[in-house]
Amino acid sequence: MNPAIEFHRVQKSFGSQPVLRDFSLSVEQGAFLTVIGRSGCGKTTALRLVNALIAPDGGRVLVKGRDAAQADPAALRRGIGYTIQNVGLFPHMTVEKNIAYVPALSKSPLWKGEERRRRAAELLESVGLEPALAGRYPRELSGGQRQRVGIARALAAQPDILLMDEPFGAVDEITRRQLQDEILRIHQERGITILFVTHDIEEALRLGTQVLVMEEGRAAQLDAPSALMARPATPFAAQLVRRSRDFSPRR
Amino acid sequence: MIELISSVFALYGERWDWFLGLLREHFLLSGQAILLSGAIGLLLGVWISQHPRLAPAVMGVCNVLYTIPAISLLGILIPFTGIGNRTAVTALTIYGIMPMVRNTYVGLTTLDRDILEAARGMGGTELQTLLRIKLPLAAGVILAGVRNMVVMTVSVAGIASFVGAGGLGVSIYRGITIYNPAMTAAGSILIAALAVLLDLLLARLEQYFKKRGS
Repeated sequence: MNPAIEFHRVQKSFGSQPVLRDFSLSVEQGAFLTVIGRSGCGKTTALRLVNALIAPDGGRVLVKGRDAAQADPAALRRGIGYTIQNVGLFPHMTVEKNIAYVPALSKSPLWKGEERRRRAAELLESVGLEPALAGRYPRELSGGQRQRVGIARALAAQPDILLMDEPFGAVDEITRRQLQDEILRIHQERGITILFVTHDIEEALRLGTQVLVMEEGRAAQLDAPSALMARPATPFAAQLVRRSRDFSPRR
Repeated sequence: MIELISSVFALYGERWDWFLGLLREHFLLSGQAILLSGAIGLLLGVWISQHPRLAPAVMGVCNVLYTIPAISLLGILIPFTGIGNRTAVTALTIYGIMPMVRNTYVGLTTLDRDILEAARGMGGTELQTLLRIKLPLAAGVILAGVRNMVVMTVSVAGIASFVGAGGLGVSIYRGITIYNPAMTAAGSILIAALAVLLDLLLARLEQYFKKRGS
């Protein structure tokens, strides 16, 4: 079985600023990989290479065995769920239309009329929202609700990979906890591969089956959460882990 | 003053069919220009928003055209398009392009970055993103440009009779040449009324889009 995502010695610079240096990584299918590092360490860049929002300067990024840079970007992206910190819901569309956006782009016959309503309601329930919200506009929702709609939208086309870029960074502590529980449940139920960028070590340890620590554009350590806690490989990793000693990682 | 107003209404009473004809002509004349500059301006605006490098040049040219006084633009066009409605429509179209291009460009280039990132990341093609996300979200700003352009076109069309075109300008021009201020005022009032009416209609449409896009 191919890994879901592979980075082969990827180089990427923005202007004269190198962001990824010789970055290699392999993500197994069904893994929940959390990526942690300082601002500017290249974690968001790595994520955006997967759905070809940017192209590598050197090296290759393979998604399910196929080079992302060679694929038709629209088709590639429709098969990959994507959520960002500020969600980016479309303000002129109802919740239902937001959720049905990707199926609408590919003119999916499974998402017409009554079917669309039923499927959107199902997705809303699966992210812990009332189906009655389907007719609302994004501006009528709370921050946590928006984030949940964003996840529902990313799941609509049943992708087997989900990219999440600090998705819970802008919500309060309690809501974040609930959202973390939801995403853990979704990961278990659907068995999809999740690449999850965060700057919160507790979140990284709590959610990931694997945690990747990034430093200055390189993969510094890739380990299971408990192994990372027991044996941090770099001073930065040790520093991260020290701050979360009183915290129990996922087994 | 009162005298003038009463003689204006007397004039409307006597020659209502003539004024109605002029009003109709005026509406058709500016309507053609509005449709043309609306379409050209929208396309140009979309085009330069996709190619931002060309934006300063295109906007520069539109700006220069916009600053030519209306009466001299009409004069300049006579050798090319002759006397009559065609020259008037051409001049009005050239004028109307500027506010359309500017508002379309501004509307499309000041959209929320997160929304665009999400739209791209979900796999919309350029055209799908333009039609489903960008244009609907920019509609409020674009419509503000349309309003601006419509009011301007309707009022500038008033001087089109100087190059032999029809419309309410005919009554203004005739009022001036036969020294009949009431006739000039009668034409001007109808132009203003038409402009205000169209503006109000478009304002309601704009409000709808603004509310939706927030």
